[in-house]
Amino acid sequence: MAAWGYTEVAGTPKFPGPTLTANEGDTVNVTVVNNHNINHNFLIQGVTTDTTAIAPGGNRVYSFTASTAGSYLYYDTLNSNINREMCMYGMLWVGPADGSAKAWTNGPSYSFQRMWVVGEMDKARWNDVAGSGGTVNTSVYKPNYFLINGQGGFDGMNNTATTIDGGVGQTALVRIVNGGQFAQSLHFHGNHVQVLTINGARQSSPYKKVDVINVPPLGTADVLFVLNQLGSYPMHNHTAQMETANGVYLNGVATMIIMR
Amino acid sequence: MKLSAMIKAGMAGLLALAAGVVFSAANAATINVTRCVGSLNKTLSGQTVTFWGFGTGGMMCTGALPGAAIEVGVYPAGSGMSDTLNLTLSINGMTPQENAPYNGHTIHLHGADVATAEDGVPETGAAVGGDTYTWTPTSEMAGSYLYHCHVHTVKHLEMGMYGALIARPKNTSGVFLNQLTHNTATAFDYVQNYVFGSVDPAYHTATGDSTVFADYNPVYFLISGNQGLTTSAPAMTLAAAVNKKVALRLLGLHSVNGTFAVKDGSGNAKSFTVYTQDGRELSAPQTVTSLDVSPGQRFDIVFTTPATTGTWYPQITYKNLRNGTAYTNGTVYGRVTF
Ligand SMILES: [Cu+2]
Ligand SMILES: [Cu+2]
Repeated sequence: MAAWGYTEVAGTPKFPGPTLTANEGDTVNVTVVNNHNINHNFLIQGVTTDTTAIAPGGNRVYSFTASTAGSYLYYDTLNSNINREMCMYGMLWVGPADGSAKAWTNGPSYSFQRMWVVGEMDKARWNDVAGSGGTVNTSVYKPNYFLINGQGGFDGMNNTATTIDGGVGQTALVRIVNGGQFAQSLHFHGNHVQVLTINGARQSSPYKKVDVINVPPLGTADVLFVLNQLGSYPMHNHTAQMETANGVYLNGVATMIIMR
Repeated sequence: MKLSAMIKAGMAGLLALAAGVVFSAANAATINVTRCVGSLNKTLSGQTVTFWGFGTGGMMCTGALPGAAIEVGVYPAGSGMSDTLNLTLSINGMTPQENAPYNGHTIHLHGADVATAEDGVPETGAAVGGDTYTWTPTSEMAGSYLYHCHVHTVKHLEMGMYGALIARPKNTSGVFLNQLTHNTATAFDYVQNYVFGSVDPAYHTATGDSTVFADYNPVYFLISGNQGLTTSAPAMTLAAAVNKKVALRLLGLHSVNGTFAVKDGSGNAKSFTVYTQDGRELSAPQTVTSLDVSPGQRFDIVFTTPATTGTWYPQITYKNLRNGTAYTNGTVYGRVTF
């Protein structure tokens, strides 16, 4: 399937784009070089504001201070969502200034973290058309592939960068950004998670405990998963077709929770 | 029945024999419920749509949409008491089902923090030919849950294989309380389950791995299995009194976005208070005039009827996942008279 992507290494685009990390207070300079044949740009939602187009062959530097710990979506805002749909998005996460394993300074601690970049693609109407230089009818969007970290179903369930896999007693911080155009209603089986942030809004303790977290298009969420029982459980999108890949079950936005 | 379920059931039986001696356990209950699966037809906007519903009966199962609600008691914190639910799924040669690999059914206790063996997911080892699922909720788990099939979920949920599962407060004498949680601020005079559903008829006839399941085009919208397209033909009715508290359990089994509200006959939105989400009490109840409910979510809410007689219409507007625009005929009404 045709896709476009950000990458650190020219010639090998990534879907989703590389994860960017910083600590609070860091000055970050991101240089984006456009090796593609159409305009692109780079916006970190809630962090940068420059949406100037970068022409083919051009480049642009984005400088910012990582001022607030949390999880952010970056994406290409151009071309009526087409560039984003072609998979030009990824995550920036910012930790506390001291680099400790906390959601923010003096915030909840975690043993390990997972980054979930979710989205979807309409192969026939968007990817195939845009990929061959055609004109996408953006009023119609019927995505048939639903992705977590660029994968679906058993691939996502076996990707150790995606699975919540750890020992009982550990705590995972799960950072979620939705680069797609569909709301994602993510259900954790057999467990509740604590909602730390939703769409950039830091929540206060005691944190709400839920087994479904809804992340709207361009939305973000940070949830804390306490590994408190042995077992294996799925985490999946609870919306019918988003559990498939072009209608084939079990696919779509899904991964595993494994507590040892 | 799994071994763990047998042991738990056996223990509860022994403790029950010791009634009057062991006070704390004497009033705890073992709740044995059986569900089968049966086909049923619904006429939606004049068209016949076939569902599979959880029901009761022997070989000839009478399915219901949604399946009848199941209530399990939760006791005051510190009482040391708990009810145990043993929910048995009965499957036989008459049970409607798909061909392999999506044959059979399970029950997933959606939102219940249970062991993997009680989770009802074939991909983590659940049997698809019938089983017993056990849950022992504790005090802080008062609230609303779902039970639904987890075989080929994209189809079986859509077929209507779902129902409400309620963890409802009991006092230490084992009597159900008219409260959402053990917090007396959640007391109610009336309660109803609003089970949200959306229907794409193409999903009801397609089977197996089909491209039909890649694209969801719902055309019928339900509350608790009913259409309720107008305020004069609502999906749910409740005859309440003035100055009373009405609790609604909002259970999201739809596959689109949804926004719930309570409005009067002129369309003015009324305040209601959200006390629980996903089976956990909010640390601070939230009083709002609209509430987004997404697939899989549950909320328990309360509103107080006014001092003068009238009619209010609890309602949900089902919306597109992409941009939140309302579907045609996408608002489903309930009605509360007082
Ligand atoms: Cu089933
Ligand atoms: Cu579920």
